[in-house]
Amino acid sequence: MDANAWSMLLEGAWTTLWISAVSIAIGVTAGLAIALIRLARLPVIEQLLVTYISLARATPLVTLTLFIFLTLPTFGINMDRSVAGIMALTLNTTAFNAEIWRAAFQNFSRDQREAALACGMTPTVCFRRIMLPQMVITSLPGLVNEMSFLIKGSPAIAVIGIVDLTRVTNRISAVTYEPLPPILAAAALYMAIIGCLVWTQRIAERKANRLAM
Amino acid sequence: MSEQVAVSIRRLSKSFDGTEVLRDVDLEVNSGEVVTILGSSGSGKSTLLRCINWLEVPDRGSIHIGGIRIGIDEASGRSMSMRELAKVRARTGMVFQSLNLWPHLSVLHNVTESPIHVLGKSRREAEELAMELLEKVGMAHKKDSYPYTLSGGQKQRVAIARALAMQPQVMLFDEPTSALDPELVGEVLTVIKDLSAEGYTMVIVTHEMDFARAVSDQVVFLDKGIIIERAVPETFFTRPATERVQRFLERQN
Amino acid sequence: MTNWEIIWEARGLFLQGFLNTLVIFALSTAAAFLIGCGVLYLLEGSRPRLRVPLRIYIDVMRMLPFLILAYLLYYGLPTFGIRLDAWWAGVGALAAYHGAYFAEILRGSRVSLPPGQVEAAYAHGFTTSRMFLRLILPQLVMQSRPLLGNQLVIALKDTAFLVIITVNELTWAANSVSATYFIPTEAFVVVIGCYWLVSIVMEVAIKQAGRFGTKRGFDNV
Repeated sequence: MDANAWSMLLEGAWTTLWISAVSIAIGVTAGLAIALIRLARLPVIEQLLVTYISLARATPLVTLTLFIFLTLPTFGINMDRSVAGIMALTLNTTAFNAEIWRAAFQNFSRDQREAALACGMTPTVCFRRIMLPQMVITSLPGLVNEMSFLIKGSPAIAVIGIVDLTRVTNRISAVTYEPLPPILAAAALYMAIIGCLVWTQRIAERKANRLAM
Repeated sequence: MSEQVAVSIRRLSKSFDGTEVLRDVDLEVNSGEVVTILGSSGSGKSTLLRCINWLEVPDRGSIHIGGIRIGIDEASGRSMSMRELAKVRARTGMVFQSLNLWPHLSVLHNVTESPIHVLGKSRREAEELAMELLEKVGMAHKKDSYPYTLSGGQKQRVAIARALAMQPQVMLFDEPTSALDPELVGEVLTVIKDLSAEGYTMVIVTHEMDFARAVSDQVVFLDKGIIIERAVPETFFTRPATERVQRFLERQN
Repeated sequence: MTNWEIIWEARGLFLQGFLNTLVIFALSTAAAFLIGCGVLYLLEGSRPRLRVPLRIYIDVMRMLPFLILAYLLYYGLPTFGIRLDAWWAGVGALAAYHGAYFAEILRGSRVSLPPGQVEAAYAHGFTTSRMFLRLILPQLVMQSRPLLGNQLVIALKDTAFLVIITVNELTWAANSVSATYFIPTEAFVVVIGCYWLVSIVMEVAIKQAGRFGTKRGFDNV
């Protein structure tokens, strides 16, 4: 592989990274929002959210990406490929993150909440100062794990023509007629990215376990 | 209502699922007084304590802390908002049976958290007070440690400092040594004894009879949600008036 | 004709895609399960030299996107003169990929199995292979069934990636119907409904298996 091929590959890696990063950022926040809304158990909204989570968890990313990219224009909404890709990844990862956050809420120690209220904290202050910081620490391993899953699922956006780290290997081999080297190089780059996340997850787990003691 | 009354409980009743756990309880705790609530398990003593700062909401009756009614707004007769309730709760400090320091905060920050975020004190002021209190419970040397590194007794001593940091009018202790290994009980009881000597107002639920005898000004005995005996410790432990208390004390020895 | 009537007319295409997805899914997860059990057995025992390569296999798979592995088999293998068609490359990639995940799940619950059981089995004169098949594996599978079920759902979703290497599966059916008749919404609603249905059926099946397992005392170990 020559320098040109490498620079194309790195460009593909960059596309994968930024699209995933945007989706993760939205997905983690939206997941928290959904978990919070579900605490209120509002009648119709609760059912809608449960259905959304169940559907999003069962729908393959490839299918979801195609669905969004092909369907929205029929409703007169035209969008950039990358926006469609981000939407698909976000819709997918939000559902998983919502479940991670919800578990953190449900497992939160009642005793600690009582201790905070007994000190005269309002529920809002208690949430902000006592619950949320701990929920972030306990959820982090799960959230990082979900980030790895998202990166592993991100090649799905290649199906609508986004040149990500996977699809770029086709581009390179179309010129070099040697498919194997770019695929192996892409595999190595993926392993580097996901390896970093796995490593982060281990550190996060150590911190979370300490909190549980 | 006199200034000397720290806690005043009038005709307090509470049931859980139809079972009455407290019935028409009256109790007055004067400033500087230590009141111990005794009773066998299920007698309602923890519930009584938890009603004082509204962690349990009673069905009937009233509770005043330093002359201010908790839970119900006197003027309108409506339930207090969470914000108003928090303000009255801040006048009490509570130490629980479970060792529930906030695990994500260091010892020092466990103690400064509420003064800063509830009372609005400056960090410097809160830390000065916290160090003073940690000194008092003998935990100043651990100020930067995290709860997971502490023993049960140490956690409970920090929890006491955390409650004191709100400068409450009354301290509530809900079986503070029940979750501890026997050899760690002493250090916690010593701290509470020191506080009583300093004139703190305290309401204590405990199973430690010798401790109750040494520390209390008034002992109250609850049976099936009713106070059946109240006396100074000397009388209570040597000449109990009811047969129920006699049997209870015999079983303790 | 309404759009839904067009969908009904094209039902053959959907059915073909759906069946193909189900066959690919069943075949590859069955193979993946065998691979997972096999890897676990090799990790169990007597051949320490195999341990390192097996760990590497598991860890590499867990750090790769599935599609990259499918690319390797479909576009990469011909370099070595091995030419698989898209269908077999897909099944092979799914089996190899999810086999590693199954192995990791089973290994995770193997670690928490009390060692006394294994010692008792050896004391009774069991050989390693008999003990593994009769005692260890059934317990591990029952214990880790929620995770295994979860992995099955992931495997089902990964079959959709195969549309990218031109396998005519369920997502391909939606794509081709929507390209022919320009009715993407209806086409994809049908297909997403199919995926949803299969995952729900699997979820229920895992729960039933759980009930059976509790009855047989697998939860009390």
